Formats: sequence, C-alpha cells, structure tokens
Amino acid sequence: MNDLPAYLVTGLGTGCGYALIGSGLVAVYRVTRVVNFAQGAFAVVGAMCASSFLTALPHGLAEPAAVVVAAIVGLLVGIVALATNPQSALIVTLGLSVFAYAVEVLVWGDQPRSFAGLPGAVTIGDARVQTHYLLIIAVTLPVFAALALFFTRTDTGKALTACASNPYAARVIGIDVRRMGLLAFMIGGALGGLAGVLVTPVQQITFDTDVALIVNGFAAAILGGLTRPAVTLVGGLLLGVTQALVAGYGNAAHQTDIALGLMIAVMIWRAARRPAVETV
Amino acid sequence: MIEVRDLVVRYGPATALDKVSLTVGAGEMVALVGPNGAGKSTMVNTLSGILKPAAGTVAVRGRLAHVPEGRQVFGDLTVEDNLRLGGRRYRERDTGPVHAILPRLAELRHRRAGTLSGGEQQMVAVGRALMSRPDVLAVDELSLGLAPIIVADLVRHLRELNATRGLAVLLIEQNARLALELCSRAYVLEAGRIVAEGPSEELARDDRVSVAYLGGSHE
Amino acid sequence: MKIVFVVAAALALALPAFLDGKQLGIYILAGLAAMVTVGLSLLMGHAGQISLGQASFYAIGAYTAGLLSVHDTPPVLALVAAPAVAATFAAVVGIGVLRLRGHYLAFATLAMQLILLSVLSQSAWAGGAIGLQGIPRFSIGGFELDEDIQYAYLTLAALAVVLLVAHNLVRSRPGRGLRALATSEVAAAASGVPVGRYRLAVFTLSAAFAGLAGGIYAFYLGYLGPGSFPVLLSIEYVVMAVVGGLGTLSGGVVGAVAIVLLVQVLNELGTSPGMPSYAPNVLSYAVYGLLLVVVVLWLPRGIVPALRRGERS
Repeated sequence: MNDLPAYLVTGLGTGCGYALIGSGLVAVYRVTRVVNFAQGAFAVVGAMCASSFLTALPHGLAEPAAVVVAAIVGLLVGIVALATNPQSALIVTLGLSVFAYAVEVLVWGDQPRSFAGLPGAVTIGDARVQTHYLLIIAVTLPVFAALALFFTRTDTGKALTACASNPYAARVIGIDVRRMGLLAFMIGGALGGLAGVLVTPVQQITFDTDVALIVNGFAAAILGGLTRPAVTLVGGLLLGVTQALVAGYGNAAHQTDIALGLMIAVMIWRAARRPAVETV
Repeated sequence: MIEVRDLVVRYGPATALDKVSLTVGAGEMVALVGPNGAGKSTMVNTLSGILKPAAGTVAVRGRLAHVPEGRQVFGDLTVEDNLRLGGRRYRERDTGPVHAILPRLAELRHRRAGTLSGGEQQMVAVGRALMSRPDVLAVDELSLGLAPIIVADLVRHLRELNATRGLAVLLIEQNARLALELCSRAYVLEAGRIVAEGPSEELARDDRVSVAYLGGSHE
Repeated sequence: MKIVFVVAAALALALPAFLDGKQLGIYILAGLAAMVTVGLSLLMGHAGQISLGQASFYAIGAYTAGLLSVHDTPPVLALVAAPAVAATFAAVVGIGVLRLRGHYLAFATLAMQLILLSVLSQSAWAGGAIGLQGIPRFSIGGFELDEDIQYAYLTLAALAVVLLVAHNLVRSRPGRGLRALATSEVAAAASGVPVGRYRLAVFTLSAAFAGLAGGIYAFYLGYLGPGSFPVLLSIEYVVMAVVGGLGTLSGGVVGAVAIVLLVQVLNELGTSPGMPSYAPNVLSYAVYGLLLVVVVLWLPRGIVPALRRGERS
C-alpha cells in the first residue's frame, strides 16, 4: 500500500501523455470532424526528432524543435486529409501513418529508441520514482490550461470554435474554414509531438508505438465525445493511473488490456445512451 | 450595389440557377420570392462567395453581409463573441454600434447563443451581419419559424436601417406577402429562373403572382 | 461482366494444376485474403463502418480450429466452429458499438486485436508467444489433405461459399434497400430498412468469413503464433478492400489478389542483393500508405467500379 503514491505519480505521468494525444484528436475533430489516425505518428516523429536533435542541440532547445517539426508534419497531414470528406479522411490518415512507418524506419531504423529526460529520482511514499514523471505532469497541466484559454479567449481560438460549432455560418461570415482546419491539424501535430517528447525518456518508442498511443489517446478522448479537452485530460489521467495500478498490484502484462477493455466499455455505455442509429 | 448578370450555378449535373439577372441599387429594398427549392438560397450563397458561378457575372459594390437561413448562430459561443466574429472579416471589433441598433443584444451579451429563443437568435444573426458595417444586407428567410410579432419587430429594424443609414436590403422570402409589403421592387424566382420582376405593387396585382403566392386572384 | 466472371472462375479452377509448391502457397494466401476482404469490403461499403482489427477474426478462427483439432476434435467440426466462434466475438463487440459512428468501430476492433494478441501471447493453453504446434492435417471422413494443391481447392471452395453467402446478403431486401437509399441512412431507416440489424449481420458475417479463412490457414500451415496476426495484417486487409472497391464482391477478390501479388513483388525487390535488411518492410509500408491515400483521393470507389464505369462509357 505504500507503493500507491508512486503508482499514482507514474500513472499520472503516462496518463498525461495519453491526454495530450487525445487532446490532439479533439482539436482536429472539433474543427474538421476528421478522426486523425496519424495522431500517434505525430508523437513518434516528435520523439524520434528529439532523439536526433539531442545529438546536436542541448535540452530545452531540442525538444521544442521536435515539437515544431511535429506541428509541420501535422500541417502536411492536414493538407492531404482535408482534400476529402471526413469519413474518407480516417482512411487517408491511416494511410499516412503507415507511410510514416516507411519514413521512420528509413531515417531512424526499426529498433526502440529513447533519450535522457530529467535525471534523478524522488522518493514518494516508500518508493523511488523518476523525477521525469513530475516534469511530464508539470508541463502538461499548463499546456491544457493554455489550450482552454486559447479556445475561449483569443480571437483565433474563438474562430476555431466557431468552425467546430457551425461550419456553414463560419463560411458565411468569411472565415476560411479550410485554413482553420489546417491550423487545427498543426495544433494536433504539436500536441502529439509534445506527448512523444515528454513520454519517451520513461518509455521507449518504436516506429509502431503509434498504434498503442492512438488507441489510448482515443480512449481518453471518447470520454468527452471527442469534443471536450477538459474531459479528455481526466480520461487520460484515469487511464494512466488505472494501468499503473494494474501493473503494480496485478499483472503488468495485462495493463493495456484492462485499459482497452475499459475503452470498449465506455463506448458501449455511450452507445446505450443514444438509441437511434447515428449517420456518419 | 449588387449587379448579377446571366448567372448560372450548378450542383454537379443539376442547374440551380439558369441565367439569372437582378440588381439592387443603393438604398433600395428588393425582394426575391419564390417557392421552396427555387434557388433563392443558392443565389445568396453565391452573392456571399460560398458558391462559385459556372457562368455569368456577380458584381457587388461595397460590403455585402449575409444573414443565412435558419439563424445559424454559433451556439457554443456568447452573443458578444458571435457579434465579434461577424466583424472579423473586415477587422471591425466594436460591438457598440450594433448594440445601439439592437439594444436587446446588449442585454443578452454574455448569454450562450445556443440558449436563446428563435427570435433572439435571428436578432443575433442580423446583428452579426451588421458588424461588418455592410452597404447591402442579404437576408435569407427572415420569417421562417418565427412568430409574426417577432418578425414584425425585426422588419421594423430593417426598415429603420434602410431609412436612416441607406442600408440596401435583398430580402429572400417564401412569405411573398411580407416581402412585397416591405420592399419596393421584387423578383420572382421559380426553378432557377426569374419568371417575373418589377415594382411590388404591380407584381401584387399580377395574377400569376397573386394566385401562386398571395393566396387568391386579384379582382 | 458475366463473361469476365466465368473466365475468372475457370482460371481459378485450372490454375492450381500448373503451380509449384511456393506458388500454390501464394494462391492459397490470396484466396484466404479474398475471403476476409470480401467481408471487410461489404462492411466498409454497405455498413459504412471501418474495421481496423479484421485480422483478429482471422486469428480467432485459426486458433479455434487449431486448438480444437489439437485436442482431438474432428477437423471438419473444428473448421465449422472457426467461423462460428469468430462471429460470436463480432456480435458481442458489434451489438455495443455498431450504433455509433464508423470511427468507434474502427478503434474498438483495433483495441480488440491488441487485447487478443496480448492474451494469446500470455496464455499457456494457446501456446503463449511461441504458439500452437502440431495442428493435424485437415481431413474429411477418412480422407486426409496432405498436398498443397488439395488445400488450394479447399480454399477455392470456401471462397465460393463466402461469395455465395455475401451475394445473397447483398441481394436481400435490407441489402437492396440500403443500396437504393445509399445516400442517406436516415432515409433508409425511416422507410423501414432495419439498418441496425443489417449492419450487425454484415459485421458478424464478415467475421465469420475471416474466421473460416483462419481455420483453413491453421490446417494448411500446421502451426500458429500470435506473430502471424499483427495489426499490420488488419491494415493490409483495409488496403485490399479499398483498392479493390468497397461494397463490391469482385472488388474484394480483385483487391486481395492484387495486393498479395504486389507484396510478392515487393519482397523480391526488397530482398535482392544490395538491399538493406529493413528494405522489404519499408517498401511495403510505403506502398500500403501511398495506395490508401491515392486510391481514396483519386479512385474513391476502387479499381473494380472504375473499370465498370469505363466499360459503360
């Protein structure tokens, strides 16, 4: 029982990663109605870039640079994905994420990668926890706060919300809905890249880690119906903590399964609340 | 203010507007009436740039603001935010003048637009359009789904704006009676074509129009 | 179009006699993939839902047949059980999720596959990460199938059954109703087409098709491991379905055959001298990704409908 605080901290740390991926999904979905399957790939690209940049740049420069690269990748994905309707765009983003594998393996190889994060460990309760977990939490929470402020207080953020709320009316008043969609993809890219950069020091990443990331990110996001960032944060944290507890007290090998099972349960619960067939 | 000549607009293989011509002069109030599906909304969407012509010309002098059909407010945002977004295209940020014209909007400033009544939302849509300080207002189906007393209130505001500020208005309406009462000139659009046009009084006396749209033949 | 079908069927029947062992392996793989893809193509084309975990049903079918026959169940029974078990899994997941938008099923099936792979890797009764060994050969009555060419014809027969069932489903009243009102599910539902139940039927059937294919795969190969059913396989099926043409039966077959052949070509290319070890994978990923993007953007209905349109004009 005295391991509990340590599990909570590591769980919150990984949960922040899921929440960031989930919020990237939300940012894109709200504005464009596209479920961006490449969201996990943004994290992988960000992490891989960070590991490369760190050979030439110091900490504190390499990571933001990697996030910027991820944002640009997000923009590129957006350009291709927005060329078709939202339902087909899921398959397009799936295709782009598979294509990303080719690029990633070509540039970085197919072996797991990691890089150093915040060094050292702290004692929490009776256990030692890597200090880096605290960094993840310390960065993620302000990012979410900033995101909320951006969407509700800035003109561009409100314009993005308008596109999400009523795309036709947005076009009527002269908002360039496509530009807003690309901006949303860039934000998604940055959030995904940030997730990859934050989490890799404590969890190795390979070119196909994107699948696990996006499934967990989606699990976090659907709690809020893919449209609410605050609920996504809660979902992500819950997911991370649940996994940590299962790994700590139960069988570590089953942690993902429990989490995914929870996700399916949430989906079914949401389905039960809506009696009618939803049109796509 | 608006000069449309031989406009053709297509949706895939279907022709929604077939060589339509109309004009709205400065300070005029002009009506575009016709049945559902005639192409009236297509006309307005083309005027505000959402649709592109397949042929013909559309010339708009000055600023045109579009009040879309069905209110179309941003439900998740406040009334104030809705208004501010209306001015975004032309960088007009001051909601004061719109509050002066439509005082109710000042009272409702901080309410979420999704929580308002139909009439209030329509007022928000009009106010949002006015934020861009337009020279001509294209209003699509103002009266749809609203109680007559609310429509009368909105109509009064439009008349006032036209009289005091010379705002030109293109009123797109299924409710021909309302449109012909309010506007000095009118066009009748049917199946993508203008079938009648002229001063409202004349059109009201025209048998075709009165039978089809005004509910009875004129003695 | 009928002539093309007859010629293709004749070709499929005659071909195995002329192929060597390795080529028969490709034939069988293509046939099995076609069975899975036909179901997936219907799901994506008719029910508007995407499954990113179709390989799980393939795996469930394979493991069901494998486990049963390793424990002395007659192979025919084991093979029949394979689609049944797969369909049951589909029904359980589908009932919950099919009423939601397409992306919910996509992630639910993906999650299902991840869970399945994880469970299989850790379960001793399934052979764990190493897998199931020593699956007996398939036999009917006393007759044992021990040559590749026999499995080729078994696959062909199963594919024929799949196509027949799928054809009947598409031509059923709900099937035709949904196609007639393809532009609006709301309109379809309003006019009495049981959209929800039809969707569930398509999903369950697609799982059964995949399960049957998996069962044959188990007997043909003789051993199974979780590594044979990665998420990438599910994505491969999606590529096959999209490339061939969603919602058409022949599209499913054409897409599967095309991709299986393409993979062979890429493998030859990737393993030719001078190529780095990761070349085959990189080539596959690049081609799959490009195909998905290019086909969706420019040939949105896939090859078969595009050819049909060309035929008519």
